[in-house]
Amino acid sequence: MERKQAATQSQKLMVFVLTMSLYGLATLFTELIPKFQVGIVEFSVEYFLFIPLVLAMLFDPMSAALGAATGELVFSEIMLGQFGGLGELEKFITVTVGVYIAGRLVRNPKNGKMVGIAAISGVVIQQLMGTVVDILKVQLAVEDFEAVPGLPESVFVTEGFACLNDIVFSGILFCLLPTLFLVPRLYGKIEPLLGMQPRTEKTALGALGIKAVAGSIIAFGVAIGAEMLAENGMQLIDWEADWAESGTAMAAGMIVAAILAVIIIAVMKKRADSTNTAADV
Amino acid sequence: MEKVKKKLSENILDKISMDFLRNQVLKNAYGNDDTVIAKLDPRILLVWYLFFAIVPWFVNDVVFLAGCFILVAATTILARVAGLVLVLFGLGVFSQTGYMFIVSLFFGGNWETIVPLLIMTLKVATVSLASVTVFSGLDPDRLSNGLMWYGCPERLSFSISYAYRMLPMLMEEFQNVLLSYRLRGNAPDSTTFGGKVKYLIYQIKVIVHAFYPLMLNTAKRSRTTVEALEIKGYRYAAVNKEVKKMKLSSLKVGYNDMMFAAISFLCVAVTIFTTTII
Amino acid sequence: MNIIEIKDLTFTYPGAGKPTLNKINLQIEKGDFVAVIGNNGCGKSTLCKVMNGLIPHFITGEFEGSVMAGGINTQESDIGELARTVGYVYQDFENQIVRPTVLDDASYACMNYAMKDYKERGMEALKQCGLTGRENDYIWQLSGGQTHLLALAGAVSLQPDVLILDEPIAQLDPHHADLIYEILKDLNEKYNKTIIVIEHHTEYIADYCKNVILLKDGHVEWTLPSADALCRVEELKQCNIYPPQVTLAAYELEHKGRIRDIEILPSTIEEGKKIFEGLLHKNTDKKEKSDLTKGEACVTYENVFVSYRAVKGEANKIFENLNLKLYEGEKIALIGSNGAGKSTLMKLMTGLIKPSSGQVILKDKKVKDTKPEQLSRYVSLVYQNPEDMFIKDSIESDIAFAMQVRNEENWQERTERLLERFRLAELKNRDGRLLSGGQMRRASLAIGIALNPEILLLDEPTANLDIATRKEIMSTLNDMKSITKTVMIATHDMQLVCEWAERIIVLYHGRVIADGTRDEIFGNKEVINKVGIRPPEIFTMGQTLDSNAFCYTVNEFVEQFV
Repeated sequence: MERKQAATQSQKLMVFVLTMSLYGLATLFTELIPKFQVGIVEFSVEYFLFIPLVLAMLFDPMSAALGAATGELVFSEIMLGQFGGLGELEKFITVTVGVYIAGRLVRNPKNGKMVGIAAISGVVIQQLMGTVVDILKVQLAVEDFEAVPGLPESVFVTEGFACLNDIVFSGILFCLLPTLFLVPRLYGKIEPLLGMQPRTEKTALGALGIKAVAGSIIAFGVAIGAEMLAENGMQLIDWEADWAESGTAMAAGMIVAAILAVIIIAVMKKRADSTNTAADV
Repeated sequence: MEKVKKKLSENILDKISMDFLRNQVLKNAYGNDDTVIAKLDPRILLVWYLFFAIVPWFVNDVVFLAGCFILVAATTILARVAGLVLVLFGLGVFSQTGYMFIVSLFFGGNWETIVPLLIMTLKVATVSLASVTVFSGLDPDRLSNGLMWYGCPERLSFSISYAYRMLPMLMEEFQNVLLSYRLRGNAPDSTTFGGKVKYLIYQIKVIVHAFYPLMLNTAKRSRTTVEALEIKGYRYAAVNKEVKKMKLSSLKVGYNDMMFAAISFLCVAVTIFTTTII
Repeated sequence: MNIIEIKDLTFTYPGAGKPTLNKINLQIEKGDFVAVIGNNGCGKSTLCKVMNGLIPHFITGEFEGSVMAGGINTQESDIGELARTVGYVYQDFENQIVRPTVLDDASYACMNYAMKDYKERGMEALKQCGLTGRENDYIWQLSGGQTHLLALAGAVSLQPDVLILDEPIAQLDPHHADLIYEILKDLNEKYNKTIIVIEHHTEYIADYCKNVILLKDGHVEWTLPSADALCRVEELKQCNIYPPQVTLAAYELEHKGRIRDIEILPSTIEEGKKIFEGLLHKNTDKKEKSDLTKGEACVTYENVFVSYRAVKGEANKIFENLNLKLYEGEKIALIGSNGAGKSTLMKLMTGLIKPSSGQVILKDKKVKDTKPEQLSRYVSLVYQNPEDMFIKDSIESDIAFAMQVRNEENWQERTERLLERFRLAELKNRDGRLLSGGQMRRASLAIGIALNPEILLLDEPTANLDIATRKEIMSTLNDMKSITKTVMIATHDMQLVCEWAERIIVLYHGRVIADGTRDEIFGNKEVINKVGIRPPEIFTMGQTLDSNAFCYTVNEFVEQFV
């Protein structure tokens, strides 16, 4: 009994490693290749989501989804130093949810219609969540958002357009078509390489339950929360007012700073000395 | 403007060969492991990063932001980040704010619009540069240890190390597959405008198609890798607290780390001081 | 004492019609150095995975019988305990290395099993595997041979009693192959490890292994001491295994009655010396000389300089002022150790690598001014790794691809013909990656000549193949001589060089240091030693007996020594 459990565990790890490597590599390149812009329509090859989508439809959806999100985080964000802080959590979660749901929707990878519907739903889910977060982000980052002339409109238009553009352009060209192309070609071929049985109606995980949906909604909530926290969350500390208005606070701050620096240096020296003596002994 | 941009992006596309990209990425990943930044304690650097990733968002004072920016830029130079990454950084900042300015002009924006946007640019720039310094400059293994110390899941720190291990191999394989397409395929003529559009579509098609062989090849690899991981006790370690302790015991805060923290602190203090005088 | 004991083992993969391993009974003594040989698909790798517990712990299937490794029942113990008893090095060993730096990978397993002194254990393993001094290097800085040693060190670090290696030298040049086997010998003798290798290279079995196990159709045919095992020439040949050339020569000579009364056939040059001592060399006196009246040059390298961008520090110079002419209709072998610039020389012709100064001219075209897409009609390159050649989902569409997109006339028919010619017609709908090694090679060759190129470049066409498949590919290459005019092969395989090439170019640190016929190259001791070329065993045998003997094949040897 225990043995069987272990086998599926390592198969999950295989799917994770596979998706992470491939999607990571793809996002690494999209990060490097400049985008094309014709007017405000952005033609970017940004969207390689078809890779995790395909794998989620053929293998364990959760492992593929997590692998994809981790791959993007590690290869393109951390390796290239384009890490956007807590905000990346938003992308992580939206990608995971989008891919997972798409993967769960497909019960029989031979059914082209289902594959297509699942692929496009994955994209729409991911994009919509991303857009909602993006709009909220700018709204909070810019002070007096409403008061700046032209800004609110431009934000809504650019973000809304970007979302539509991504769904129509990237979604169809880079997700729907490649997924429809790849799934039937890989089905039955790639599974034996990982030592697994191809997915069929019988072996599929079953329809999406309430649990999965609820989990997704909670995850989205966390995503928004993370984004807000990253951008604006702790306005409790009103730094600016303090410094600008009171000279004493400024002086105090400087003194504290200087003292702290001195203390740190002292500690530092002490440490260096003690390690030296320790080494001597 | 559009023309210039189009020309620029075309030129870039021509110049950037796969080989160049690969070299830049590798340089960024492995080429700077002997810098001051790479040797710092990851925990200190992560705290440092957290400061510069969060604080600028709450401050709207130009002098303070500029000061932070200069400090962070200095550390980026110390970390010897690859050129391409810096170009990306520039593009990233522009695409986030410069672009928005242009659009806002259509909606009756004016030079007043530029001030909040400039502040936002400074914020974005500081935050991004801080991440470039920490994540590009830090040795991957130390980074993953640092993250683990702060309680990040083991899976993530494994992924980072593994990614650094596999990257050269994956890139080479991808490059070979693309070359197969290039040599055997027949790219449309790209001298006319119509040809250029066709050429672009062709390129994209090739990249998408290239993932078919790549998926199968990588699947073969993953199997060996995971079997080897099982033998090497990966899962055993994931649940064993003792192992985590052992891994993290190599982390030590040293003289240099203190110095780095103190100097950063001093710089911030000086900018605050300057702000208040003005 | 038996360290491995297998009783009545039968194993069937899920979905497979018949068992891969069928009623296996096997004992391996502690301290043995044993080779497992057998036809492709006879279950060698499966047997090894049974011994280290991957089967049945991670690979499920029907498992019957019992396997004891170091006194532990593999079915009942956990994988961690087994890993400390049996170490395993995969055939695709580079995927087994999961950490970015050398020491880190060597000590990874020890750390995972919570051994406090994991660093020291890693260092010790590196020492045992001859990698001291490379501790802090990145994996990609290592050569192929060193990477293999590191994979071995990763297994050795847990100090298991048994080490299993799946085709350890398949991808290596002779120098690195020797290195690996010397280290295995050291581990066997000094550290008393039991070594089990899956091996096709019978010369290495003769030199290093104590015993040989022959697997046939999933069961153990016999276990014999190496010397006895390698004498069973007919039986081995039936299983597609070729004994060392010295053994084959003695076998032939004995049949012809020229040598008599030998108890056991020789399997090494030393043994051969004693047996063949009485034979005399017929002086043939016709040494092959380079043909100086050459036709038109079809490729010209003029003052070519090439350097690579390095990750750190200065750029690596590959070629400095290279000048070379290749003539139409030549069959050229390009030899030299790893990193001498063989691949670069070939890629320069395809336009994939551009010289920093100087130029490459193909007939009247300058490579610099022509797009690689257009050059591919004249020059075609077949990669070392055939998997990189397969970009479509069936070999038929792979072969057709280049012709189809160029709208060649009757591309369908030509594809048909190529499939027939390379005996792939029955496999045409299969994915290239899922074929066997030999089929994969044949398919990649067919893809390579689909456009009817005037110049065909092959990078290591026989690497990674067992001897029988290698022979098959060699005969395919000989057949192809009539199709493509000019062919260049970069290779370490000296048998291929001797039996196929008409001109041999030797590269050493980016310079051409020798260029001529096989007699001129292999007769030049200075070059041979400098570059570390290992002539075929039979050639060395002939030379040892008489320095005027130039025999490159077993047949030539048998004809020339009477």
